[in-house]
Amino acid sequence: MSTDAAAGPSPFRWSLLGRIAVTALLLIWLVVQVYPIIFLFNTSLKSDPEILSAPFSFPFPPQFSNYVAVIDGGRTNQSILVYLFNSVVVTVGTLALLLLVSSLAGYALARGKFPGSAAAQQFFLLALAVPVHVLLIPIYFFFGELGLRNNLLGLILLYATLGLPFTTILMRSYFLSFPRELEEAARIDGCSRFGTFWRVVLPVSRGALSSMAIINIGWVWSELFFGLVLLDKLGFRTLPLAIAAYKPSSMAQQTAVGELFAIMSLTVLPMILFYFVFQKQIRKGMTAGAVK
Amino acid sequence: MQQSLASRLRANAHWYLFVAPALLLLLAFMGFPLYRSLELSFFEWKGLLPRKWVGLQNFEKLFADRYFWNALSHTVIFAISATVGTVGIGFLLAVAISRRVPLHGLYRFAFYLPVMLPMTVVAALWARIYEPNFGLLNTTLETIGLGFLAQTWLGSLDLALPSVIAVCIWQYAGFPMIVLLAAIEGIPEELHQAATLDGVSEPERMRYLIIPMIWPVLVSISVVQLIFSLKVFDLVWVMTKGGPAESSAVLGTYLYRRAFEQQEYGYASAVAVAMFAVIFTVTYLYNRLSKVDSVEY
Repeated sequence: MSTDAAAGPSPFRWSLLGRIAVTALLLIWLVVQVYPIIFLFNTSLKSDPEILSAPFSFPFPPQFSNYVAVIDGGRTNQSILVYLFNSVVVTVGTLALLLLVSSLAGYALARGKFPGSAAAQQFFLLALAVPVHVLLIPIYFFFGELGLRNNLLGLILLYATLGLPFTTILMRSYFLSFPRELEEAARIDGCSRFGTFWRVVLPVSRGALSSMAIINIGWVWSELFFGLVLLDKLGFRTLPLAIAAYKPSSMAQQTAVGELFAIMSLTVLPMILFYFVFQKQIRKGMTAGAVK
Repeated sequence: MQQSLASRLRANAHWYLFVAPALLLLLAFMGFPLYRSLELSFFEWKGLLPRKWVGLQNFEKLFADRYFWNALSHTVIFAISATVGTVGIGFLLAVAISRRVPLHGLYRFAFYLPVMLPMTVVAALWARIYEPNFGLLNTTLETIGLGFLAQTWLGSLDLALPSVIAVCIWQYAGFPMIVLLAAIEGIPEELHQAATLDGVSEPERMRYLIIPMIWPVLVSISVVQLIFSLKVFDLVWVMTKGGPAESSAVLGTYLYRRAFEQQEYGYASAVAVAMFAVIFTVTYLYNRLSKVDSVEY
């Protein structure tokens, strides 16, 4: 990554024709990958007649009327800012709870040789293999009984649980490679186990914790499956539900295409900014999470 | 012995407190619902009236249910095509970028961008792109003189499922690409130089050097993608809701509609249990074989 072309791997060796073909294919794939995203933002800045008559044109001058309309929320009786707020609360809450609980458990699994530690380890592996779909119906009724439907705290507890097996297992492997010397010094100074963990281990584990946040932020921000059934009251819905509520019918029959694109742009924007700022950490984190 | 176990438990009390929050959450919101799902699959239940024990009848009905097999086969087709597509394209992109083709830095950045987008947005965006009258795809085809290729895409019985699969590949090819790229860049440079000295062509380098060196990662990422795609829901739900005429229904959408549109919670639980059996087996075997719990990084 840091090496430039001259110091990097052996030069690309192919016939001129081969090079042209490879370059052309890559450029076509680049357009296929990037243009729809540009199209998304473009369209959100146009009026509905313009969207239908000139799909490729760039929005000059850009019109923010779609954004004004969704923030005003006249069509859905609900400002998009409420959805945005719910999404932010759920995402931040889930990540905070998930990181705390999984690092505690991961630390114990890495350091403790206690009766039942092997069974606990197995339990997390089993939980990792559970497809969340099987939980949908019971969770719907269970959350109804607990009063956790239409409740952001309920969603936070659920999402943190769904992310736990994977995150705990990764935190455990991180703590296995964590040097014991630091902890031993703190223990000699009279720190309790928890004190050592909280004041010595966690502060130096910021890198690993942010990797875990990076691995989880995407799916939490986009979660739809449970959100659909658990949030049926307007004021509690998250952004993915605002998008799913627009039916994919013929564009000629509907008049709110621009507003849908404005909502989609607002949902995408935080993720894109996040990627622009943290791209190296994100790619590194996702690679560590995927390769066993 | 009793004594020593009790004292060992006491000596380790703090470790139990460390694991307790995680175990409580998992038992309450995963273990217990899982048990209730298995239980419910033996009942007939409309949600409000008392539920009725029907034994294995839901499963008998399931095995005779044409729509269930339909959804299962679509799920398998979806998972296999999406895996082959994403890993295949991702591998070729990773090789190209690792070979430092012109603009490789831009590609590395741009080809991962779609992975970052929320799946709901990708689905809703592509539903508009596929829209037959004003959608970007048909408009583009007409503009470049290929209007005869224009289709109704998501509205077509034959094309709905392939169209959704194409979107999945569009979004996720960048993921195996990044993982495989990291593996390829871990190949010792001396091997590359030796290959260069031997004067191998690029396809030979790929076939005899790169693929053998990254084979374990290639297998891993394929299984990861396969398991991930078996769980598909969002893309299909937002783009087609399983339609037209169930032609793109997958297990996730079939389960959802049976439960929350037709209120057949018992039968839908049987669908969920069948789905659980398939995915749980594949995932657990893979996790054991790949020793996911012994990663070091």
